[in-house]
Amino acid sequence: MSEPFEPKVIAFLCNWCSYAGADNAGISRIPSPANILPIRVMCSGRVSPEMILRAFRSGADGVLVLGCHIGDCHYIDGNHRTVKRIPLLRNLLGYVGINPNRLYLDWVSSAEAPKFAKVTNEFVNTLRELGPISEEIKIGVGV
Amino acid sequence: MIEEIRTQVAKQLQKLDGIVGLRQTNQGTGPFLFRDGDDLNQLVLEPRYPLPVVLSKLQKQFRDANFGIVARGCDVRALVEMTKRLQIDSDRLYLIGFTCSAEQAKMCYCADPFPAIEQWPKAEMIGESVTGVQPNPLVEKFKTMSWEDRRTFWHQQFQKCIKCYGCRDICPVCFCEACSLEDPQWVEPGLLAPEFPTFHLIKAIHMTTRCVSCRQCELACPSEIPLTVLYDLIREDVSNLIGYIPGADLEAAPPLSLTLSDAPMKSDLV
Amino acid sequence: MMDVGRHPNIELLDYSEVVKVQGYVGNFDVQVRRKPRYIHTDLCTGCGLCAEACVLHGGKGKLLVPSEFDEGMGKRAAAYIPFAQAVPLKATIDPNSCLWLVKGKCSKKCEEVCGTGAIDFEMEETYVDFKVGSIIVATGFQMWDPLKLPDYGYGKSPNIITGLEFERLSNAGGPTEGEILTAEGIKPEKVAIIHCVGSRDERAHSYCSRFCCMYSLKQAHQIKEKTNAEVYSIYMDMRTFGKDYEEFYRRNREEGIQFIQGRPSQVTVDPETGKLFVEVEDILLNQVLELDVDMVVLATAIEPPKNADEIASKFGLGRTPDGWFAEAHPKLRPVETATAGVFLAGCAQGPRDVPDTVAHAGAAASEVVRLFNQGEVTISPTIAEVNPEKCVGCGECILSCPYTAIKRNADDKAEVNPALCQGCGTCVAACLSGAITALHFTDEEIVAQIDGLLQLPT
Repeated sequence: MSEPFEPKVIAFLCNWCSYAGADNAGISRIPSPANILPIRVMCSGRVSPEMILRAFRSGADGVLVLGCHIGDCHYIDGNHRTVKRIPLLRNLLGYVGINPNRLYLDWVSSAEAPKFAKVTNEFVNTLRELGPISEEIKIGVGV
Repeated sequence: MIEEIRTQVAKQLQKLDGIVGLRQTNQGTGPFLFRDGDDLNQLVLEPRYPLPVVLSKLQKQFRDANFGIVARGCDVRALVEMTKRLQIDSDRLYLIGFTCSAEQAKMCYCADPFPAIEQWPKAEMIGESVTGVQPNPLVEKFKTMSWEDRRTFWHQQFQKCIKCYGCRDICPVCFCEACSLEDPQWVEPGLLAPEFPTFHLIKAIHMTTRCVSCRQCELACPSEIPLTVLYDLIREDVSNLIGYIPGADLEAAPPLSLTLSDAPMKSDLV
Repeated sequence: MMDVGRHPNIELLDYSEVVKVQGYVGNFDVQVRRKPRYIHTDLCTGCGLCAEACVLHGGKGKLLVPSEFDEGMGKRAAAYIPFAQAVPLKATIDPNSCLWLVKGKCSKKCEEVCGTGAIDFEMEETYVDFKVGSIIVATGFQMWDPLKLPDYGYGKSPNIITGLEFERLSNAGGPTEGEILTAEGIKPEKVAIIHCVGSRDERAHSYCSRFCCMYSLKQAHQIKEKTNAEVYSIYMDMRTFGKDYEEFYRRNREEGIQFIQGRPSQVTVDPETGKLFVEVEDILLNQVLELDVDMVVLATAIEPPKNADEIASKFGLGRTPDGWFAEAHPKLRPVETATAGVFLAGCAQGPRDVPDTVAHAGAAASEVVRLFNQGEVTISPTIAEVNPEKCVGCGECILSCPYTAIKRNADDKAEVNPALCQGCGTCVAACLSGAITALHFTDEEIVAQIDGLLQLPT
C-alpha cells in the first residue's frame, strides 16, 4: 500500500500579522498541518507572481499567501497590491489548466491563531483532493 | 489613404524634427525616422511593426526634439499605456492616426480598428473607421473547457515554442531593458521548449493592464501559438476586477500599483 | 494661546496658510502664504477704534456683518477684532464685506481714527519659505451642518440652535452677554437638548463624536441654573467615560433635568405660534412623547474640516474610513503618521475632548523632542535599492510605495529615499524588470528558501 499523498505547501507569511499568527497557533497548541512550509516576508505586498510560479515549479503542490487584513497592513496599504495581483494570477493559472485553487490568498492577523489553523487545514485538505502538482506541470526543473 | 497619409506627413515634417514610420526600400521594410525632404513614396503602412517602441527610444535620446508617428488604433492604445509608464512624452508628440481596413480588423479580431485621438493634445486621423469585429470565438469556448482540456491545449501549443522571444520583442508595451524572461532564477535557461507554464505565464502576468490587443505577438509567432486567446482572457479579468481597459484612458493611472481607494476593485474574481 | 503668542521660541504666523511642503524628515521645505489684513500688525495696538468707526458699524451699536466667532448669532463690522482674547490682539479688515475693498466706495473712517496709521488698503499677500525638521498637524474639526437632515428642523426656527451656537448664548462675551434667551428675547420655559445629531447616524456620520454628551450635560446644567426652565435631555447612550464625568451626570439628574432615552423622529415648528414640538419615543417608558418646548439645542456631530483632502495631500497624510487623518497605529502610535517627521495633534486625528487633546498634543510634542534629541533617524535595514542600469523609469514602484519614498531622479530612474523607506518590499514585487531589490529579503534569498523547504521530506 503506497503512502497517501501529502501535499507540500509554500506559505508566504507577512512578518507582522500572519507570521505572528502562525507563531501564536503554535504557542497555543492549536494543531495546523505539518505540510505548511512557511516563508517569512515583511509584507504580503512583497510576494511577486514570479516567486509564486517558482514555488510551483520547484514542487509546491499549493501556495498560500497570508497577509494583514485590508486596512490593518503594518505598511498601511502594501496588501492592497496583493489583493489585486493574486486573483489575476489565480485566473491565469486556471486558463492554462492548473487548478487555481492551488493558490490561495487570505488575511490572518497576529491574534487570529485559530483562523491560521483553520485556513491551513482546509487548504491542505483541498490539495489532497487536487493531487500532486507534478500531475499538472513538470517540477524540479533546474532545481 | 496612403497618399493622404504621405501628404500629411510631408506637411507636418515642416514643423517636426521627424516622423516615425515604415520605410520600404529594395532591401526590405523597416522602421525609419522620416525627415523633412525625405522621399515619402518610401513610406508604407505594412507589415505590422511596434513603432511606439522605436519612438520611445528616439524621444529618450533626443530630449528636446518634437517627433511624430504614423499610428494605427492599436499603436495609439500602446502609446497611451507607454505614456502612463513614462516611456513616451505626449507633449513632444504629434500623432498621425490612420484607420485599419475591414480585412485587417478581421485578421486581428479587432474591436476598435481605429485610433482614438480625442485625448491626445496634438493628433489627426486619416481614413474612415470601420466597425469592430467580434472577438476570437476560441476565447468563449475556452471558458467552458475543463482544467485538463485546457492543460492539454496549452501543453500542445507551448511545446511548439522555440523561445525566439518574438512575442516579447514585437510587443509595443514591452520596454524593459532587463527582461525577467531572461532571468535564470525565474526561467530555466537552455530548455526547449521553455518550461511550462512559467515562461508564458510570466509574460502574461506582466502584460496585465498593458496588453492593448494589437495581436502582433500572435502574428509574429513562427509556431502560430494562439497567444492572444490567453491575453484576451486576461484583459477581461482586468476589466471585470479593476474596471481598467488598457489603452482607453490617458488619465487613468496604472491600477495594479495603486491603493484600493485610488483604483478600487470592482468585484472579486473566482 | 496667549502663552504661545508670547513664547520666545515660538514664531506665530497668523492669518496664514501652508502652501506646499517638500522634503523629508529633518529636512522639510515649507512655503506659507500670509494673507493681507490690510492693517500692519507691527503698528496696530488692538485699540478697536477702527471697528467702532467702520461704516458697517451701523451706528448706535448696530453691526451689520454676521460674526463667525459668534456662529452668526452676533454681528461685527468689516474692520474687526475677532474676539476679546484673540492672539495676536490685532484688527483685520474683511475683504469680502469692506465697502472700499469690494466696491471702491467708502469714506474710510477707519483710516481717519487709527492713531498709528496702521491701515493700508494696498497690502498684498506675501510668501514665506523656511526649513523645518518636523511638522505637527493640528487642524482640528468643523461642525457638521444640521441642514443636511431636515428631521431636526434646523433653519425653520431661530430657536433651534446647535450646541456651538448655544455656547455663544451662554457666554458672557456673547451676543446676549450670557443670558439664555429665545430669539424673541425672553427666557425659555422649556428646552430640549438632543444628543447625537448627525453622529451615530448612518445618514450622516456613523461614528460617535465623543465629547457632545459632556457638553450637553453642561449646557443642561447652565440652562437650569440661569433660567430654571424645564430641561429635557434626549439621548441615545450617555457617554460619560472620563474622570468625574459620571458624577456630573448624576448631579444633572439630581437637579431635576429630565433624561429621555430615544432618538427624536422629528422637530416641528407651529407656523402660527412658533412653538417647537419634539416627537420622540422614550424607549425606557415604551411611550411616544410629544414635547412642546421654546428652544431646541442640537448637539451636532463634528467632522474633518472641509479642506481635509487638501491638507492630507499637502502633508502626505492618510485618512481612516471616517475621514479623520490616519495615525500610524490605532493603539500604539496615536500621534505619528505614515510620513516620518509629520505628527498629528488633537481632533485632526479623531474626536476627543480637552483633557485628551492636551495629552495627545503633549505626546506629539514629545515625539518631536525625541526626534530632535536623537539627531538621527533609525531606519529599517530591509530597505529597497534600485539598480539604475536595469531601471527603465516606468514608475510602477513609485506608485506602489505606501510612504512615497521613491522618486524619479534627474536621470529619469527611480531612487529610494532610505530615510523614508520602511522596507515592505511592495515596490520589489511591482517591478517587472527586477531592477529594485529588498535588502535582506532578496528574490535570491526567498528562492533559496523555497527550494530548500521543498526538499524536506513530509
